Amino acid sequence: MWIQLGCLALALLGGAPQSEKDPKPETKAPPAEKQESPSKGDAKTDSGTKKKDEKGEKAKEEAKPKEEPPREILPPLEPGPTLFIRAKRVIVRPGVELEGAAVLVRDGRIVGVGAGLEQPKDAQVLDADTVCAGFIDVWSALAIDPGSLNDGGLGPASKSADAFDMWSAEELRRQTLRAGVTTARVQAGATARVGGTGAVVRLAPGLDERLVMLTREGCVAINVGLSANAGGGGGQLQVIDGQLVQVDAGARGMDIFDRLADLDRIGGALEQGRNYLQAQIEYKHELAEWKKKIAEKDAELEKEFKKAKKDREKEEKDAKDKGKTFEEKKYKEDKQPNEPRYDDDGETLGRVWNGELPLFVQVHRHAELRSFFKATEPYTRTRFVLVGGSESRSFTKQLSERGMPVLVWPTLRGRGAPDEYDGADLSLAGDLARAGVQVVLGSGGADPAATRDLPLMAQMAMGHGLDADKAFEALTIGAARILDVDRRVGSVERGKDADLLLLDGRPLQGATRVVRVISAGRVVLNPEN
Amino acid sequence: MSLPLFALFIAALPAQQIRQPLTQGEAPRQNWIVRAERVYTATGRAIKDGAVLVNGSKIGAVGPGAAEENGKYTLSVYAVTPGMIDASVRIGPGTAGVEQSREVTPELRIADALDLFDVRWDRQAESGVTTALVCPQDENVIGGLGIALKTAGKPTVKDRTLKADAVLRGSMGSQPSTRNSPAFQRPRSFYNRRPTTRMGVEWEWRKSFYEAVAGKNDPARALPGSAELLRALDGKLTLSIQAWTTQDIRTAVFLKEELEQEPQIAGKPRVFVDAAAEAWKEPELLVRSKVGVVLPPFPVDGRTGEGSFMAWNVAKLLCDENVPVAFSAHGGSGPLYSLASQAGYAMQGGLEFDKALAAVTSVPARFLGVEDRVGTLEVGKDADLALWNGEPFQPTSRVIGVIIDGALVLDPRPTDAR
Amino acid sequence: MLLTIATAFSLLAAPAAELPATFAIRAGHVLLDDSTVLDGGMVLVEDGRIRAIAREVDLPENCAVVEHAGWLSAGLVGLHSMGSDPAEMRDATRPVLDAEVAWAFNPRSSEYAKAAAAGITTLVLTPSPRSLSGGVSAVVKTGGGRILSRSAHLSLGFSAAALSLNAYPTSFASAVAELNNRFEKPSGAFARARAGELPCLFEVATRADVQRASEFSRRWKLRGAIYGADLAGEQLDVLSEAGLAVIVAPLSAGADRRSIQSTVKLAASDIAFGFGVDNPMLDPQAMRFTAGLCIREGMDRKRAWRALTTQAAELAGVAKHVGSLQKGRDADLVLWSGNPLELSSGVQSVYIDGKLVHEVKKP
Repeated sequence: MWIQLGCLALALLGGAPQSEKDPKPETKAPPAEKQESPSKGDAKTDSGTKKKDEKGEKAKEEAKPKEEPPREILPPLEPGPTLFIRAKRVIVRPGVELEGAAVLVRDGRIVGVGAGLEQPKDAQVLDADTVCAGFIDVWSALAIDPGSLNDGGLGPASKSADAFDMWSAEELRRQTLRAGVTTARVQAGATARVGGTGAVVRLAPGLDERLVMLTREGCVAINVGLSANAGGGGGQLQVIDGQLVQVDAGARGMDIFDRLADLDRIGGALEQGRNYLQAQIEYKHELAEWKKKIAEKDAELEKEFKKAKKDREKEEKDAKDKGKTFEEKKYKEDKQPNEPRYDDDGETLGRVWNGELPLFVQVHRHAELRSFFKATEPYTRTRFVLVGGSESRSFTKQLSERGMPVLVWPTLRGRGAPDEYDGADLSLAGDLARAGVQVVLGSGGADPAATRDLPLMAQMAMGHGLDADKAFEALTIGAARILDVDRRVGSVERGKDADLLLLDGRPLQGATRVVRVISAGRVVLNPEN
Repeated sequence: MSLPLFALFIAALPAQQIRQPLTQGEAPRQNWIVRAERVYTATGRAIKDGAVLVNGSKIGAVGPGAAEENGKYTLSVYAVTPGMIDASVRIGPGTAGVEQSREVTPELRIADALDLFDVRWDRQAESGVTTALVCPQDENVIGGLGIALKTAGKPTVKDRTLKADAVLRGSMGSQPSTRNSPAFQRPRSFYNRRPTTRMGVEWEWRKSFYEAVAGKNDPARALPGSAELLRALDGKLTLSIQAWTTQDIRTAVFLKEELEQEPQIAGKPRVFVDAAAEAWKEPELLVRSKVGVVLPPFPVDGRTGEGSFMAWNVAKLLCDENVPVAFSAHGGSGPLYSLASQAGYAMQGGLEFDKALAAVTSVPARFLGVEDRVGTLEVGKDADLALWNGEPFQPTSRVIGVIIDGALVLDPRPTDAR
Repeated sequence: MLLTIATAFSLLAAPAAELPATFAIRAGHVLLDDSTVLDGGMVLVEDGRIRAIAREVDLPENCAVVEHAGWLSAGLVGLHSMGSDPAEMRDATRPVLDAEVAWAFNPRSSEYAKAAAAGITTLVLTPSPRSLSGGVSAVVKTGGGRILSRSAHLSLGFSAAALSLNAYPTSFASAVAELNNRFEKPSGAFARARAGELPCLFEVATRADVQRASEFSRRWKLRGAIYGADLAGEQLDVLSEAGLAVIVAPLSAGADRRSIQSTVKLAASDIAFGFGVDNPMLDPQAMRFTAGLCIREGMDRKRAWRALTTQAAELAGVAKHVGSLQKGRDADLVLWSGNPLELSSGVQSVYIDGKLVHEVKKP
């Protein structure tokens, strides 16, 4: 492989002279940004080399996928309606409620919340008992195509946004809206070692596609120590009756060494990201340096152009006389630094490493959690979210010290569930919240239909010790915060997108019904639907 | 994971119309008037510009003449034929419909195992098949009693039965012996038993009948199912024997002729051969012993069950030799696999229209012994009609309306005209 | 006098497990059988039985009183459960067993503690549906190990699970024929079922199974209930003609809406129904979750509560003992943090036969 690289390098570097000998600017591949004496294409060694290098650089730029802005093929987005919502109670955020207030929505945004709002003439007036933010499911598989959901071979850069089919499962999504869940983080690779990049989407069917995707890159998910990934045929995980069940456990399950090896991947992945990022930064610096040096040399040689030309002609003649092939002198500083090969996984992991994208790590068992906390200590910039955490009650100190939120799946598990879930029961969320850990709730990311019943599962968690306010926070602003969409959704505040529930009672109570749902400022569910 | 695939399969099949599933209740029942440019009664009489009047659940009148146009209950179509009868509909619970711990189980009824909520019944009705014969799957030498039933109506066996215990079903050939293995093979299961060959299958047939006859006089030797076997010998219960290949058909016919000789039995067994793909090779044998045949679905490349060979002109060959022939679709529906398509293929192979129509109406009605109720458009028979938008059995025509027992199961009118 | 006060005081302060035979519970709200609520009511328990329920009860001397700010109700009755070990509940050697599942009851199994923690105080242990007739079910308490009834139903398998590929019977026809034979010349549990003394439990799966079971039941004039039909609400006419009740299988998050709507339709009809548990395959919390899903879809709350308690006890044949808050019934009480029909309410204490079997420690 090195020989080939060497040959390639030589070819790139050595091939240029021929092209210089045929110096028509039009034949040079891209129109050069700087054309210094194009007619004298063969004149200056360094400028020629520089042009060749420019060409090489441009060629390399071509090779790297450019981020082109998408062509506008869709008709312009219709502005949203103006809505004036009068409510007996507006729950702005957990713990902050306004009595007898109104919410004014214009073109998809909340432009006013409060008691003394003036009702605009052109507004559609809606009445409700209670208004609150739409619920967010942080761990969902809704409308993800089943192949991607079960794909075990994803990489960190695989985008769940590509697996999300916004025109599918309409009836189920409508039921989900009726239950109060308006937004979800959807993730492919439910039980894969690497789940890829998750997306945060609005679930209402019929929304314009530009409104559906809140963010295409919400987080990166990694799953550690799941039985589904056990070596040697470790058992099939299937969703039966709404819970993940181990079916046909294979001959060899995952033992502790496998699981800890699994955990090491986190460190490895972060290192990969860091290295890639570092290489990119270094390259930028080196490139700037090199350009500076070239410019200096250029300026210097400009002065001595004539002399240099004469020298070169003399050398050429000498070589011809002696029958040798003329070789361009190569200056060390002319060698352009090699751009690190584009690696989308590396790029994504780099952004994870430096905290741009949160890393959702699913770890359940005690031993793995211990190793997890130890292994991730040095990565202070990375934002971790612990997913699952069935046995994380013993680690509340580390969790609260590091400010690491925990994404809990409050589900009903019977016998037959894989053993990594052994420590989990409905009281996990409450216990963690009481210990000062930030808790968010999700529907497990394995059964697409489970998203609909997340509010009911939250209620069951409340019955097992989760504080009502914390449950509401977990479903709204808490979830938005860890997904980095809290500036757009999660609470009923001015400037945010209008993703609202109009209820006939307090949220998260058995008797309360969702009357209307507003998503991106459009009314997407009416009582008669 | 099979459930999502099944759902995809269902979704991919062309749905004729969006409407309530037929099994969810009764279809609208009126005294319908069907006006058609062609009324094919299957009695040999074809009427141009005629009408069929439904009276309750029976046919009230059939004849020429313009009936009330655009009446509220008038259905105007191009052609009307009797509802088609498929003598071998294989829509059943599969192996859960046949008791495999023994090879000979004449007393068991497929009716006890039917699931009438199966969506394939709806498809049969939509494709114009109004009466079906369902038999136990041929895993046993003698599987049990088949039932003739209507393909739509209230989804209970009782409501749909046209003739309970219509046939006694059995099979020749290798299908009954496929799962069995010699006693020395492992693993041990109750499949370590005879028969394991074709001759073993025939031996089981003969043995069970002779045991039944012996049991007539000596009750100690009577086995469960002997009563059914004796009735079959007597001709009171029709025998439906599956026989794909030439040698199996011969075996079936010779067995029948041998059993006819039985001195202790007064009557003569009535037999028709099901899936008789190679009946065309020895039609004289069938004529000689008065055995009718039911042809399986026409295969694409000629090869069909158990290695038999059957081309599209087979029906014509048989009809020319005066062998009673019926077609079957084995539960298929849709443009390529329905019973109407089978008749179409036979016509493309040269069969005349009248004979093709008979092969899906009057002939199978006779085989099943229900010719007094269905099979032709005659006054007093059940109002089972198939309404077409073109000449029946042509590739460009299809069934657009179905009436079963006087109830409009598939409505040919455009939605706004209903 | 001092001794009395000291005793009374110590009784109140001592861990509640040491409660004497006679004590009272005062709860913020008492949920009665007909779903009416008695605010600030008291329940007097004596020798494991309920002696009185009222706003103010005449307490005997030295009676300990347990104060509970939340709600009090009767314990829930779960109608279908495979017990601690499904392997123990099935004998694959014969299709028909005249056996009592009560022999396989292991009260120390943790599954019963889990059920008690979910508020279920009475559980019906049922034989496996994978036999043609797996035996006779038993009714047990989830704490204390008491068996209320050794024969509650005769289990009859009408689904495809009762068939096998390599054992008799392999077909529905022969399964029905076999059962017909057993009822024609009945003995043991079959004789009692035919005489109407023992109700039957029909294990079904598809709508065709329900029809077959109903026809069979009508033929032999049996009474009982079906279990396993997720669309029972679409076959109400068939069920009411046969006079059969329905035991609703538990539903989990993401359950098909059609099943939920079918259960709601069932509740709106006259047909008796109760909820099953399918423990240990599913968490016993699933019973209340199923009720919660159905209530969200429109089921009447009173009806749901009846199905969880009184009607379920009737279907299990133990209504004289459990399932209701009435004088003379067993003191099977559950203390909740809120209304039991609200999913956000949790179990805080469970008493079975007047003894505390489960308590959630205050954090």
